[in-house]
Amino acid sequence: MVYIFTALYCEAQIFIRQFKLVKNQENTWLQEFYNESAEIRLAVIGVGEIAAAAAVGSICALYRPAPGDLLVNVGICAHTAKNDGIFLCSKIIENATGKTFYPDMLYRHNFCEGTLVTGMLPWNGENAAPAGNLYDMEAAAVYQAGSRFFGPHQMIFLKIVSDHGAVGEVSRERVLHLMEKYQDCVLDYIGQTAAITQTGSCRRNSPHQEEERLVETICADLHCSKAMRDSVRHMIRYLTLAKIDYVSVIQDMYEKKLLPCKDKREGKLRFEEFKERLF
Amino acid sequence: MKNLKKDCFNPFFSHIYVEKSVRNHARAQKILAEFPSAEIIEISYYKDVFCRSRQSHPIQHRTQKLILAARQGTLLYEGAPVCQSFGNQYFYYVSCAMNCIFDCEYCYLKGMYPSANIVVFVNLEDIFAAVEQMLEKHPLYLCVSYDTDLLALEHIIGYAQEWCLFAARHENLKIEIRTKCANRSFARSVVPLPGVIYAFTLSPQAVIEAFEHHTPSLTERLSCAGEMMRAGCPVRLCFDPMVYVPDWKQHYEAMLAQVCRMIDMERIVDVSVGTFRISQDYLKNMRRQEPDSAVIWFPFQRKDGYCHYPNDLMEQMECFLTEQLEEKISREKIFRWRM
Repeated sequence: MVYIFTALYCEAQIFIRQFKLVKNQENTWLQEFYNESAEIRLAVIGVGEIAAAAAVGSICALYRPAPGDLLVNVGICAHTAKNDGIFLCSKIIENATGKTFYPDMLYRHNFCEGTLVTGMLPWNGENAAPAGNLYDMEAAAVYQAGSRFFGPHQMIFLKIVSDHGAVGEVSRERVLHLMEKYQDCVLDYIGQTAAITQTGSCRRNSPHQEEERLVETICADLHCSKAMRDSVRHMIRYLTLAKIDYVSVIQDMYEKKLLPCKDKREGKLRFEEFKERLF
Repeated sequence: MKNLKKDCFNPFFSHIYVEKSVRNHARAQKILAEFPSAEIIEISYYKDVFCRSRQSHPIQHRTQKLILAARQGTLLYEGAPVCQSFGNQYFYYVSCAMNCIFDCEYCYLKGMYPSANIVVFVNLEDIFAAVEQMLEKHPLYLCVSYDTDLLALEHIIGYAQEWCLFAARHENLKIEIRTKCANRSFARSVVPLPGVIYAFTLSPQAVIEAFEHHTPSLTERLSCAGEMMRAGCPVRLCFDPMVYVPDWKQHYEAMLAQVCRMIDMERIVDVSVGTFRISQDYLKNMRRQEPDSAVIWFPFQRKDGYCHYPNDLMEQMECFLTEQLEEKISREKIFRWRM
């Protein structure tokens, strides 16, 4: 699942349209859209750090992101010098505290990279120039709230420059125009990064249903206690990973009527015997 | 985005995080010059990057980043109880770099550190000063390549060479540079010093292929060790950790036969033998990071906070190798690690 967080609805529109997201009518405290089959969930989190942290925390607590999921924060920002462009953020500074956050920079991309400063107020060009070259009002909060649920390798911050301090000139139409301008590269990057993360996660957490069934059968036939059940499960996990043929040993024990056991005491002996035959 | 499809990960050290305080340090400048196209990200303190929560070792290992920092606080550590002291009374180690470019599934660094990125401390002069301070009190046996593989990083940081020059100036200092590397260019240019021991960690080829990802083959390691011995360097062979695999006896026997073919056993300094053991806490972290790694999911025995193979198996494996080694070298040269 990809969790997309935007501050404004007009920043979310390209995703709603592209992924055919539908509104979650049950969510009344923020605008949430989703498409289960596309594995996309989007929330419009509002402007400012507190709104962003509250919304990200609330969505993540509700849906419990998995290790293969991604958090993507996309939106407009100011730039101290430029009027245009899209940036992947490698460093985020929270203006109020000076704390810094570093999303992992794992994948190849064609964006510029930049440092982003998150402030409580819009940067109007008259304030002292921020330490970084980009300026927004949510990213540091999204990172901090998100880091309770996501690792730094699962978080992406993409910012599109809308102005360099003249925030009053940034209309809804301009935001829409900018989002559309960069939508292909944004969607492409999110799609491919999500696929890589998901693939890695599936490989690492592949279900072991057959193994689990076998563990249940053996544990029942050995009359295992809780502690012994854990030992059996661990042993079978190891034997499977090490590609050691333990199944034929178990079959042989059944054929020789060593299994099932009549009680827990005999079960302990048989388990020791099983280990001895394997090592 | 066509690059993403072809080879999705950034190249190694595509990003270099540099502590502001060391940005102009000569060693930092030299290292940065090796990576002219890397993105340089200035940081206040290396732990801001290295100690972030929920980092993924397997993913970071695909595209490791470099962090340049200054080592603060403790600079020398006493040798851990699970480490072999080789009979040296004052056994210490230093950590001038953290983490390794190799990706061994059983490596304790994966349990010890929260990140797979590599930290290089550029203030080596401060570590040298701390060593000199200790040398005023007593001689020192110092392992300089424990939390990293210095020879594998030599072409980037040149620290092995710096340690050699330092050791050459201090008679009561003996250093060990442990490696799985086969750095032939270093071997060709090495100046042998009695106080610098090159310790090659060896494993059967089957273990290397299964668990020691991106490391040189056994043949390559032995060939490099042989070259260094011929140059006159003291060389130690470390059969530690011995890793259990089905048919371990055959694999270790074949390995030893190859070692004896390629290495003049009479000229080696000593050997160490020890089966895999690890702190219980590190193992827990490693299992969380590597849920599909056979080598760390072995059902180990626990004793005093450390995990090791069951006593019988441990005894069998270590005795087997020790007995075989005793046929080739004198017993005093064999150091077997004991719980």
